[in-house]
Amino acid sequence: MNPNLSLYFALGFYGAGTLVALLSLFTREKRLQLAGLGLMVIGFVSHTLWIGTICTLTGHAPITNLPETAAFIAWLVFVVELVLFIVYRVHAASFFVYPLVLILLSISAVVREPFAHSPKLLSRLFTAHLLFTTTGVAALLIGLAFGLLAHLQDRALKSKTRGRLWDLIPSLNVCKDVSYRALSIGFSVYTLGLVTGFLWSYKTTAGVVALRTKEVGAIVAWVLFATVLQSYISGTYRTRKTMFIGAGAFIAIVVAMLGIHHV
Amino acid sequence: MPLMLVGLNHRTAPVEVRERLSMDERKMDEILSSLLSCGLHGVAMLSTCNRVEAILSAPNEDVIEQIVDWMADRAGAARVELEKHLYILRYGDVVKHLFRVCSGLDSMIVGEPQIGGQVRKAFQLAQDAGTLDALLTQLYEQTMRVAKRVRTETGIGEHAVSVPYAAVELAKKIFGELEGLQVLLLGAGEIGELTAEHLHGQNVKQVFVANRSYERAVELATRFEGLAVQFGSIDEHLAACDIVIASTGAPHFVVEPSQVERALATRKNRNLFLIDLSVPRNINPEIAGIEGAYLYNVDDLQHVADVNREMRQKKALQAEEIIGREVEGFRKRLVAQDAVPTILELQGRLEEIRAAELEKCLRKMGPMTAEQRAAVEMFSSQMINKILHYPILQLRDGSEEPQERESLRKTIRKIFGLRS
Repeated sequence: MNPNLSLYFALGFYGAGTLVALLSLFTREKRLQLAGLGLMVIGFVSHTLWIGTICTLTGHAPITNLPETAAFIAWLVFVVELVLFIVYRVHAASFFVYPLVLILLSISAVVREPFAHSPKLLSRLFTAHLLFTTTGVAALLIGLAFGLLAHLQDRALKSKTRGRLWDLIPSLNVCKDVSYRALSIGFSVYTLGLVTGFLWSYKTTAGVVALRTKEVGAIVAWVLFATVLQSYISGTYRTRKTMFIGAGAFIAIVVAMLGIHHV
Repeated sequence: MPLMLVGLNHRTAPVEVRERLSMDERKMDEILSSLLSCGLHGVAMLSTCNRVEAILSAPNEDVIEQIVDWMADRAGAARVELEKHLYILRYGDVVKHLFRVCSGLDSMIVGEPQIGGQVRKAFQLAQDAGTLDALLTQLYEQTMRVAKRVRTETGIGEHAVSVPYAAVELAKKIFGELEGLQVLLLGAGEIGELTAEHLHGQNVKQVFVANRSYERAVELATRFEGLAVQFGSIDEHLAACDIVIASTGAPHFVVEPSQVERALATRKNRNLFLIDLSVPRNINPEIAGIEGAYLYNVDDLQHVADVNREMRQKKALQAEEIIGREVEGFRKRLVAQDAVPTILELQGRLEEIRAAELEKCLRKMGPMTAEQRAAVEMFSSQMINKILHYPILQLRDGSEEPQERESLRKTIRKIFGLRS
C-alpha cells in the first residue's frame, strides 16, 4: 500500500475543513465552524497516521527533510490549536491556523524528497535539534496567529466597529496573553533548537559552520522573535508594530524551511 | 388529549391587570391543586412580571370556561372584563408559544435570558406539586431543549441592548473576565452609578468612587462595598484601575491625555477602558488615540446597544425558523404517540385474520414441504404489511387538526372492525 495514502486523506480533510471554516466566516453559523473543526480533526488523525508510518519506515523522527519537517510542524501547530480551542473556545484562530496547516501539509505532498537514511541524521544531537526547532517554530507560529487576533481586536475596539471576527475572537487580554505565552515558550525551545543545530553542525563539519539560506533565515527569525518578546517584557508592546515584526519573522522561517533540503 | 394555554401578557394587558393575577411562588402548590380540581390532567403556571399563563392538559376543551372563571375570580374582575385581555391557545399553538416564550422571542426585550429560568421554575414547581402529567412533562423537556438550541445556535441573548450592559460587554471584550479588576467611578451621575453597579455585579475586585462631594462619594462607595477617594487623587487611581467611568456634572474635561499617558506608562501592557457617560464630556476625546486606552462615550455605547438590538431582531428570524421546525417535529411525535394504540390494535387484528386464513388455506392445500409452507407464510405476512402500510402512515403523520386526526382514526377503526 502507498505509504502516502494517509497523507492524501489528511490533505483532503484539511482542505475541506479549511473551506468550511472560511465559509462560516461569511455565514456566521456556529454549526459550520464545528463542522470545519470536525473535518480538521479527521484530517489530523490521518495526518498522525502518516507521521507514524514515516517513523516506522525510516526509523527516526519525521523531520529529516522538507516534506517531513513541514508535515511535523503542521501537526504540532494543529495540536496547539486544539489545546487552545479546548481551553479558550477560540474559533477565530482557525481562520489563520487551518490554512497554515493546509499549506504546510501541501508542501509535504508536493515536494518529493527521498527518505533520508544518513547515519549522521541518527545522532541524538541532530534529533534534539530538529525536535526543538520544529516545536519552537510551531509555538512561534501560534504566537503570531494570536498576535494577529490581538491586533484585529484592538483595531475593532479602537474604531468602534465590529468586523466579521468580532464574535469569534476572544478578549484582547486573552489574545495577548496566549500570544505572549506561545512566543515565550516557542522562543526558548527554538533557541535550544538553534544551539543544538549549531553544535551538531560544528561536530559533523569538523568546526566549519556554514551560513547558508537555512542558517541565515533561522537566525533572522530568532532576532525578530526576540524583538517581539522584548517588547512584551519591557511593556512597550504595540499590536501593530508586533504584527510587522512578526510578519518578517514568519517570512524568515519560510526561507529557513525552504533551505532544509540543503542538509 | 387537548393541550391548551390561557393567559395574558404585557402586550394584551396593562400592569394593573397583570398585577392582580400575579402569583406568589410560595403559594403555587395550593394554586396548582386548585386548578387541577377543575378536571384537568395536568397544569403548570407561568407567572412573571410580564405574563401570567396557565398551561393545561385536559380531557376536553370544555374546561377552558372554568379556567377563565377561576382567573376572573382570582383577579377579582368581571369575566367579561378579563376576557378582553386573555388569549386562549390550543395544541400546536401552545407548543409554538411556549418555545417562543422560553427562547425570549416573546419578551419585551427580545432574547432576554431570564425568561428561560422562569419557565423552568414554573414547570419545576408544577412537578413538585405533582400536577405535571406525561404530556406536560414532554412539553417541558422539549421546551427547555428547544430554548437551549435557539440560544446556542443563534446567540440571540449574547449581546447587550442597554448602555450599562454595553459597557460591561465591551469591558469583557477588552479584559475577558472582570473578576479581579479595579473600577474608578468619577462623579455620581445616574447612568454612571448604574454602570458601576453592573460592573460590581461582575465581581470586580474594588470600586473606587471619587466625587466633588466626599460625603456623596462615601455614600456611593458603601453601596458598591468600595472605597471613597478624594477627587484630587485621580492620577494615582488611574494607574491602578482598569476601568474608569466618568459621570460628573463638570462642564469641562476631568481626565486629560497626559494623565492617561502617565498611567499607562506604569501599567506595563495592561489596557485602560474609559467610559465617558457625561454630557458635556468629561474625558478628553484625544485619549482615544493613545495606544492601550479605549475610550467610549455615551453615544458610542448607545450605538453598540442599537446595533445589538438590530442584530437580535435578525437572529430572532433565524430563531423562528428553528422553532417552526421543532414545533412540527414535536407535533409529529405527539401524533405518532397518540396513534400507537390504534396501530397496535390494527396490526393485531390483521394478524389474527392472517393466521386464521393461513390455517384454512394450508389445510386445503394438503401436505407441503417446510420451504413451501414458509413461502406461503411469507406471502401472507407481506400482503398484510402492504395493506397496513398506508393506514399506519396516515395515522402516524396525521393532519395538524386534532379533529381530522380523530375522524381518520374512527374511520380506520370502523373499516377494519376495531373496537371504537
